[in-house]
Amino acid sequence: MKKPNVIISVTLLALAICTTSGSMAQPTGQKIMEDVYNLPKGDDMQGELTMTLINRQGEQRLRNLRQYAKDDGDVEKKIMFFLSPADVRGTSFMNWSYTGGRDDDQWIYLPALRRVRRISSDGKGDYFMGSDFTYDDLGERHPDDDNHKLLREETLNGKACYVVESTPKDPDYMYSKTITWVMKENNLGLKREFYDDRGRLLKILEIKQFEKVNGFWTILETEMRNVQNNHTTRMKFTDVQYNQGIPDRQFTERSMTLGE
Amino acid sequence: MKNKIILMTMLSAMLSLPAMAQFGNDNIRFNGFVRNYTGVLTNETGELSILQNTLNLNFSSRGDKMAFKVNPYLYHYTDRDLELGLREAYMDMYFNKFDLRVGKQQVIWGKAEGVFITDVVAPKDLREFLLPDFDEIRMGITAFKLNYYFGNSTLEAVWTPVFTPTQMPESGSIWQPRMDFPAPVGFDHSRAEISPSLENSEVYFRFSAMASGFDYELVGGYFWYDDPAMHITRHIDHQTQQLASLTLMPEYHRVSMAGGSISTPVGPFLIRAEGAYYSGRYFQTTNPMVQGAKLEKDNLHYMAGLDYNLWGITLSAQFIQEYILDYEEGMQNDELDNTMTFLAKKDFLREKLWAELFAYIGINHEDALIRPKVTYNFADGFEVLGGANIFLGDKGRFGQYKDNDMLYVKLKYSF
Repeated sequence: MKKPNVIISVTLLALAICTTSGSMAQPTGQKIMEDVYNLPKGDDMQGELTMTLINRQGEQRLRNLRQYAKDDGDVEKKIMFFLSPADVRGTSFMNWSYTGGRDDDQWIYLPALRRVRRISSDGKGDYFMGSDFTYDDLGERHPDDDNHKLLREETLNGKACYVVESTPKDPDYMYSKTITWVMKENNLGLKREFYDDRGRLLKILEIKQFEKVNGFWTILETEMRNVQNNHTTRMKFTDVQYNQGIPDRQFTERSMTLGE
Repeated sequence: MKNKIILMTMLSAMLSLPAMAQFGNDNIRFNGFVRNYTGVLTNETGELSILQNTLNLNFSSRGDKMAFKVNPYLYHYTDRDLELGLREAYMDMYFNKFDLRVGKQQVIWGKAEGVFITDVVAPKDLREFLLPDFDEIRMGITAFKLNYYFGNSTLEAVWTPVFTPTQMPESGSIWQPRMDFPAPVGFDHSRAEISPSLENSEVYFRFSAMASGFDYELVGGYFWYDDPAMHITRHIDHQTQQLASLTLMPEYHRVSMAGGSISTPVGPFLIRAEGAYYSGRYFQTTNPMVQGAKLEKDNLHYMAGLDYNLWGITLSAQFIQEYILDYEEGMQNDELDNTMTFLAKKDFLREKLWAELFAYIGINHEDALIRPKVTYNFADGFEVLGGANIFLGDKGRFGQYKDNDMLYVKLKYSF
């Protein structure tokens, strides 16, 4: 379990495929991603996430967690408390990520071991809690990490969209490219495709529900489908709140051990 | 009678939960697990090494200023008495900068995995050697624990008015450590009791910090060493002038300990280290000139470990060394005792299936304990675990159990 902040990250993922609209001139893919990366997202955030994992037989597994995040400009601190299933309840995970590219600090608290343990932040390609989202999918990928190209404009689900292709500068990155669809009317993303290292379509992310919460665009329901193994993950966010003044002590060893 | 009372209390509590929720006490949380653990020896006897049914419950409630937790457990065996107990039963009081926890509690320290270096507060239940889960090996102690917080640092003080020793296997157990003596032995337990008193209480301190880039702990304590030293009296047959018998008198001794631990990521690796200096420990000696057959010696105990993730496999290795200062010939322990541990763990099927291999390697005696296991999450909260415990060598901490190789299955439902 590494790399949390699912709510903000998925929001940013959607926002990351939003562009500034209103201009008659067609923006470049790079400009789209830079604008999105710098969008305001609040000083702090909290909310609850329910993940439904659906395998090819249609069997479902539920994962439920509560998350808090805070960004003071230099350090973004996040803490997650696992609520279900019963065998992981009480587990907590904390991540501090730094501006400037320093490696994240990550800790996990397992109630059976009754101590907080530092873990390596390596492993961004691992899947988060058995879902179809890797830790990197949930993180904030800097636009300078990819080359962006505006492919075309087209209508998707009745919405006029920009279609942007992003190719990683690191040849060893887990995806060979991603393609995103961005609604022109409200600058929100509708869809993203992920291609594996052989250039084959791997996963499709679709945004099902979104709205403004405390003035910030927030994804409330999304679905990631792995087309190669027909496994799907649905994420639903509830009780999302921004700028509630979460204190620093929420992101400490004490908080991890006491639980949510 | 005592067991019946606890059992009735547990049942009453379980039955009253819906009622508590109905009357507004729905902030009391209730969870736990039931488990069947069946193990069979792979030697020619094919005997069941364990057949255990477990019920473990947690009742807890937390408010802004206080909390409580009660963790009763029940072990049912076919060949032993029903065992009921409280692993933890404590209350918390929360203040602005500090917390106070009072009652029976498990206090876990250190950064080492599977070995106990600065992790000295919780005594160990070794009735099944090191095979149970570690939260079941570490026993709760009745203590007052104060945690003072400043920034990302914590100062912790623990006072335990009652000494709890290591729980050793009963006589006749396959996990009883091998003890070879040159003559028949008898036991005298007259000095094995440490009566609860202020003078006999134990104190522990810890300073811990979670910093950017590394975590560390500094610890210290003045306590009774959990394992007894054997004061051995030799009885000589005056007619033959030969050793006729031995009287073993288990005796606990005060020790002082100071140590620390650190963990830090270095590139893709996570490096862990832990060490402690013990003053006042007693070690057995075969030197017939030493009265009581035990010597007081200071010793060092330390560990260096490395964690790494390769192709989704969690890999971990630790080197542990125990060094006796001012060593004397004839001591039963080696001057330097070296152990290694290895762990490899990987999940499959989106965290439904876990494969793990953990091993202790005793370098001095060329012995080992190899523990492969596979866990399958059949459904959320329900897991099936199959594994083996393989003892290699014929002496040393692990080799002494060479006849105890076992296969086992655990079925566990968490709720």
